[in-house]
Amino acid sequence: MNRAGFELTVALPKGRMMADSYAAFSRAGIELPRARGERDLWHSGGGLAVLELRGADVPTYVDLGIADLGVVGRDILLEAGRDLYEPVDLGFGACRLSLIRLPEAVTPVRRIASKYPRFTQSWLRSRGMVADVVKLHGNVELAVLAGLADAVVDVVQTGATLRAAGLVEVEVLARSSARLVVNKSALKLKRDVIRPLIDNLRALAT
Amino acid sequence: MERDVREETGTVIPEGTRYHLPPEAAARLDLQERWRALFASWGYDPVELPVLEVYDPEHPLAARAFKMVDKSGRVLALRAEFTTAVIRMVASEGLGEELHRFQYAGRLWLRDSEIGPGRLREFAQMGVEAVGASGPRLDAELLELAWEALKTADLPDARLEVGLPALVADLLAATELAAGPRSSLHAAIERKNIPELAELLADYGVRGGLRRAVLALPDLYGGIEVLAAARRLELGPAARDDLDWLEEVLALLPPGLEVLLDLGMARAYDYYSGIHFRAYTPDFGLPLLGGGRYDGAGTRYAAGFALGLERILEARGVPRELAAPQVLALDPGTARRLRATGVRVELAWTDDLEELRDYARRRGIARISGPEGEVSP
Repeated sequence: MNRAGFELTVALPKGRMMADSYAAFSRAGIELPRARGERDLWHSGGGLAVLELRGADVPTYVDLGIADLGVVGRDILLEAGRDLYEPVDLGFGACRLSLIRLPEAVTPVRRIASKYPRFTQSWLRSRGMVADVVKLHGNVELAVLAGLADAVVDVVQTGATLRAAGLVEVEVLARSSARLVVNKSALKLKRDVIRPLIDNLRALAT
Repeated sequence: MERDVREETGTVIPEGTRYHLPPEAAARLDLQERWRALFASWGYDPVELPVLEVYDPEHPLAARAFKMVDKSGRVLALRAEFTTAVIRMVASEGLGEELHRFQYAGRLWLRDSEIGPGRLREFAQMGVEAVGASGPRLDAELLELAWEALKTADLPDARLEVGLPALVADLLAATELAAGPRSSLHAAIERKNIPELAELLADYGVRGGLRRAVLALPDLYGGIEVLAAARRLELGPAARDDLDWLEEVLALLPPGLEVLLDLGMARAYDYYSGIHFRAYTPDFGLPLLGGGRYDGAGTRYAAGFALGLERILEARGVPRELAAPQVLALDPGTARRLRATGVRVELAWTDDLEELRDYARRRGIARISGPEGEVSP
């Protein structure tokens, strides 16, 4: 694909947040082009291009300016540590990043399993705590049940999964929701398009 | 794990470093030569700085620099940034008492750069510093020179963006908050994260006109109209002086140089004492240059900017091939005679005319010339 031909390139995470993003952009007056088929990697139309990505890849595409802007959960932004503008809290995709343990656990935390190792390390440092962080890719709760770690840091939405697993949310470390992220250069050079979009999305979010 | 075959043969180079082969290396030299001549024509004299520095935990990039231990056990760092190096040179050589204009060029190293297009761990910069004097005229000079440097690099669509970290610093100082909360506010301003900024201001009990002014900062970006919007905020005397300074700088810019403004640009706000500026070009996501004024950061008066060589070449594109020499000469005498007329000549290394013809064809050399004149190629 050749980006130069598009007024705006938007990076969106696959899945639920993608549908919510289409709806939010539509209410803000921008109709994003739809996929033409299931295997479509990117969609274009009306001068716009949409890149369908894994959530964790959205900050990379936006930071390097391959996409002008994108939508991504704050949890992923905290982990990515990329230098992006984050002008709008879109409200959907709300969740929290929490420290999770077995109800009877009273010993100090020595080993934490997480899909968010970088965030977990920086939280530990901010508390002056020392623990090993083990990076996992899924089913993180199992790490505590199976004895791999004595705590996990993970996303909690309703808490139902945790309760079913017999785990407790000990502490909320950060709150997350979907954010509009914008590349630093694009915000300035394409502000005729991006600024009204930000204003409209903000008006809808409040 | 299996060992990379290149490691076995010793041909591996570290991640984030690169070989620059002839077409690119020539483009790099050519660009640096044009910048050098431009800066010299504005009165900026060259300086050379050591690559090895004594490690200093107070250095702005201390955590990201490559470190090593020398024979006395002292920790050294590889140069990670030019401005600090120039300012230290100025301080140790006692050059800060009157105006000096310096230019520099060379490589820098960062341990942990996120590697990607235009982001390496070993990279080159070229730039200028004006030390020993301060004022809007020097700031305007640097902005105009940066603009000329971008045009010299064949990037006519690049735009300069000017921010005023001093304004952010003065507004944050007016909150009278401790360093921790101040840096949280700063981070939210820098990311233009208005929801978080509003929340923090409420948590910290910042109210009234000051709250409105801080909350307005992230959206104060765009063209010259931004200045008028900033003037409408309730600002203290220090913040008003900052805006006066910026306005004076902008009034001194030449016709045709229309800068973008971003008064919420607050990176290293405790470092810059006045303006800070960057440059962007369409369809390239990273800044091409960075600079500003940092009076008091190691010497009394200093301001300058640095151009990122790899980024600018990445944004502009590098020619895929170098132009071939014009003639393949069969003997040294012919080569000398032709070179004296300004022709680019390669000398034959053999008498085998067939091989030479083959070589000239592959290399794209149009003419073969000998003592008896032209030979059919």
